[in-house]
Amino acid sequence: MPPAKKESKDKEKNTHKLALKGSSKTVTEFFEYCINTILFQRGVYPPEDFTAVKKYGLNMLVSQDDQVKAYIKKIMSQLNKWMLKSKISKLIIVITSKETGEPVERWQFDVQIFGKDSKKKSSSKAADENAASTTEQAPEKSEQDVQQEIQSIFRQITASVTFLPMLDGNCTFNVLVYADQDSEVPLEWGDSDAKDIQDAEKVQLRSFSTNNHKVDTLVSYRLAE
Amino acid sequence: MASPSVMTPIKRRDGLFSTRFAGGRAPLTPSPQTPKQQNFVLDKDESIHRGNLFPRFSRSISKTNVRDSPKSNIARHVSNNSPRRLELGVSDWNLTGTGPSASNKATPSRTRNLKTVKTGKTKISYTSADRFIPSRSNSDAITNSGVNKIEKKEHSRSKSSAESVLASAASASSAFDLGRRSTHDDDIDAALGLDGLNLDDDEDDKTYNKPSPKTAAYQNEIAKACDISLGQRILAFKPAAPESSRPIDLRSQYNRPLKPTAAATQFRRRVATAPERVLDAPGLVDDYYLNLLDWSSGNQVAIGLERSVYVWSAESGEVNSLLECPADTYIASVKWSQDGAYVAAGLGTGEVQIWDVEEGSKLRSMFGHDTRVGVMGWNKHLLSTGARSGLVYNHDVRIAQHKVAELVSHTGEVCGLEWRPDGAQLATGGNDNLVSIWDARSLNAPKFQKTNHKAAVKALAWCPWQSNLLATGGGSHDRMIHFWNTTSGARTNSIDTGSQVTSLKWSTSYKELVSSSGFPDNSLSIWSYPTLVKNVEIPAHESRVLHSCLSPDGQMLATAAADESLKFWKVFEKKAGASAAGASGVASAKASLTKTTTIR
Repeated sequence: MPPAKKESKDKEKNTHKLALKGSSKTVTEFFEYCINTILFQRGVYPPEDFTAVKKYGLNMLVSQDDQVKAYIKKIMSQLNKWMLKSKISKLIIVITSKETGEPVERWQFDVQIFGKDSKKKSSSKAADENAASTTEQAPEKSEQDVQQEIQSIFRQITASVTFLPMLDGNCTFNVLVYADQDSEVPLEWGDSDAKDIQDAEKVQLRSFSTNNHKVDTLVSYRLAE
Repeated sequence: MASPSVMTPIKRRDGLFSTRFAGGRAPLTPSPQTPKQQNFVLDKDESIHRGNLFPRFSRSISKTNVRDSPKSNIARHVSNNSPRRLELGVSDWNLTGTGPSASNKATPSRTRNLKTVKTGKTKISYTSADRFIPSRSNSDAITNSGVNKIEKKEHSRSKSSAESVLASAASASSAFDLGRRSTHDDDIDAALGLDGLNLDDDEDDKTYNKPSPKTAAYQNEIAKACDISLGQRILAFKPAAPESSRPIDLRSQYNRPLKPTAAATQFRRRVATAPERVLDAPGLVDDYYLNLLDWSSGNQVAIGLERSVYVWSAESGEVNSLLECPADTYIASVKWSQDGAYVAAGLGTGEVQIWDVEEGSKLRSMFGHDTRVGVMGWNKHLLSTGARSGLVYNHDVRIAQHKVAELVSHTGEVCGLEWRPDGAQLATGGNDNLVSIWDARSLNAPKFQKTNHKAAVKALAWCPWQSNLLATGGGSHDRMIHFWNTTSGARTNSIDTGSQVTSLKWSTSYKELVSSSGFPDNSLSIWSYPTLVKNVEIPAHESRVLHSCLSPDGQMLATAAADESLKFWKVFEKKAGASAAGASGVASAKASLTKTTTIR
């Protein structure tokens, strides 16, 4: 891929598109398992709703509840569309208390798209070259490496229950995305505030990257009073 | 040098503002001395901040509602001559109107001031129109201009769509968080005012259609400060997430054993919700207080239909009429002896007959009750009978003087009676809503009397794996199942079933019990014990389920209902190959019993 890039701009775009598709799929899939894992680990739904599935070399817990499944699927299909068009810069899972409606925990996944950088800065030649070089610098990542990185994120998410405050089990969740201004927005999605947690404690978790995306993980939570 | 006096506002600033600028910038309290040019009508090209407008301001204001501040001179002095002025500008927010002579001289340093004022977030290059030095003691002027500018800013905001993000940010009240965090409220006012300075140049008075490049730059800065980038929206998936089926205790979740517990697997076991077999039971008396169905250890089912008792063999499927009572009465209860050889039948007259089923002959009649005998229970050779009068008699069926005890406690009809399998205790329930628990060794008075039920207690069941655990179910005004420790008399658990409890049976192989219900559900419910989770509810009959009994192997439940049908349900089906440890003893005991009876 990198040598092809320099040959012609057209070709570069093509290769990007193809690679982007696979990469987007990896990222959305990652999100899907993230949501399921967080719902399970944080007790948003009862544990018997979940079954274990082998993924990333781990036993991932995935909800079997039809309603929850459908809900996540809807989010994911839209997310996939946005990802393919590189419209997303953040995905956020907010766990809110049912009683007060206040966010108590906020899982933030920052998405950087390497291809997009070059697109944006293409006005200046230097920037374009910069972007090209960053993708070049990162050596071609094998599927396995990516999986390994994702695996360690999930290990961290699972391990994070040790420091996250105890939730009272009466919680629900919301999904937010930071999308570009010009993205197409279906009816089910609407503008929202960031649902930030006030005086939150923040913990940066690991990140993973494919050839086109880099995903950073951050959890913020309210300190126990 | 013009001599602008420093003013301290004595009224609220919005009040000032409104009097001054409401009504389309009308001149404010024009005094006779004020020349006409001093009106605050702004020409198109004139900025209020330009040139010597300010002295005019101050003069007219001081005449109306601003008093001269003694501090004014100090402020003036410092601001003009001292190098400390810079600090002052940052910290004190003094605003001093400047005359034309001062304005040019002071420009570079003021620009710096303004930058600091904005906590370094904004780069505003003031080219020519730099007119303010912020000064707190002089805040009247800045307030005016500031408020004015806020208005302008809002104005421009509403017009320019590109600013929508900023607007939303502001409405999310986060826009000025940064300012709030780093400085204090006064500063925000000032920041707003200074923000206005961006807009306030001549062009702004003419048109607000386009944000000036400076405005855009400013918004960018604000957006960055608020951690949102322009050209980006935060979108939420609007539909609410599905409700969780139950609240989760994370503590138990984190302590979950690796393998699902036995309880979990029991929960997941499948229960056939269709009957295995349906038989007609014509003439079954629809009376809650009777007990007309029993399944023997010899795998035969006895059912009382009006005046007859029929015996249905579960193995062969044959039906035999065992007995028919005189026309003036009816069968009120049937009960198999523990060995499955004899059937006791209680009649409406109070007579109790004992029949040998194999022979098909009556062995004896026992009299004593003068009201109908609605419930009976065997304990080896002892037969306990409960009557409408509320009395319970124990009969020793082997001897002529059969009545060996009279158990007095109920004042209403006795409709539930159950011996503990080991014969040490007896539980009775009656229409007086009372549960009595008797010690077999002292029958003068009940060991415990429980008044928790609010309706007749017909359903009684002793737990097969915990001998001192009794479950009792109440009638249609009660709908509760209570669990009792019959050693201590304590109530250990309760379930609100939501309908009349007509019978209760414990499973011999699972930690479960089944309840049958009358109004309004007419269903069978299987509950886990001790979690009391309802595992399954089977809509069993069209009308209330009156009686139920378990097969000797503990797998099948027979139910008779007011819809005159007898149904068989495989509610406690054993897993193939694996027989639960607790049940095997019972099962083998039953098997041996079966063997003896067949031999006999």
